[in-house]
Amino acid sequence: MLSAPPAVSQQTQVLLHAVTAEQNLIVIYAEVMSEYSGLAATLAPLRAEHEAHLAQLRARVVEPPGKQVHETVTARPPITGTKSAALAQLRAAERAAVTAQMDHLAAAPASLAQLYASIAACESTHVSVLGAQIGTQ
Amino acid sequence: MSACSAHRSAHSDRGGRDGRGVWGGWDGWVVSATPAAAAVVPALQGALAAEHAAVYGYGVAGALLAGAAQVQARADWLAHQLARDTLEAMLTKLGATPVAASPAYRLPFAVSGAASARRLAAALEEGVTGAYLGVVAVDDPALRAFGAKAMQVSANRAVTWSGATVAFPGMPG
Repeated sequence: MLSAPPAVSQQTQVLLHAVTAEQNLIVIYAEVMSEYSGLAATLAPLRAEHEAHLAQLRARVVEPPGKQVHETVTARPPITGTKSAALAQLRAAERAAVTAQMDHLAAAPASLAQLYASIAACESTHVSVLGAQIGTQ
Repeated sequence: MSACSAHRSAHSDRGGRDGRGVWGGWDGWVVSATPAAAAVVPALQGALAAEHAAVYGYGVAGALLAGAAQVQARADWLAHQLARDTLEAMLTKLGATPVAASPAYRLPFAVSGAASARRLAAALEEGVTGAYLGVVAVDDPALRAFGAKAMQVSANRAVTWSGATVAFPGMPG
């Protein structure tokens, strides 16, 4: 009889958490763009960058036979009631994402740390872009 | 080692910590395995070299800009001088001789007016971001965080000059 597979390593758990976090961000973007179509031109490039992040993170995960990476969105917060508030909500989510990526750096292998750092840098630019956009609403 | 070469070597090592492949059980879910971390001094020297280049380049760009853009260029020029000084102090503390600035640098393209000066500033920031990516590859957690924060600063400056975000700041294209 086969024994149960060993527990998922901490490093793998962090990577899978990063995958889920990107999925959650993409969902928030989709919902804000659906609610406020006028923001689509601004938000679509940012969402596309998150989709690129997700693809790169998923590419680091190998699915052993019989196992798959979960395609699970774990947070689907309600979109707040005005354009400015929705942008602020996105901005807060991006800021939290930067913090999370920074928290992943210390224990990661070098190349994965570089990926987390690059994604954090991108997300920090999103914080700035969204902040500027809030100022125009 | 340049930041870019450090990055390439990190991605080219698909072997595991024990020399096996990445399929040794569930730990094998992470493709990146465990490449050798970059050495601290070369990584910091790479960042310093990029800061030297940025200080030079902003001198060129700033001369071709006017108004608010010139004010911004001057602020960024000063910020790069400060970063240069910080890196020099870090290297000296490590017992290394900080790499010196070159007397002149070959610009990546002809810079002859405000538009190309803005493109140059963006290119300088992209270069600096890539150099700090090499610092993120070292083992020391504090240095990793230092490099990652510096990447955020330069990535934001690049967006200020280029007007567009990129998905993977600092990563080779």
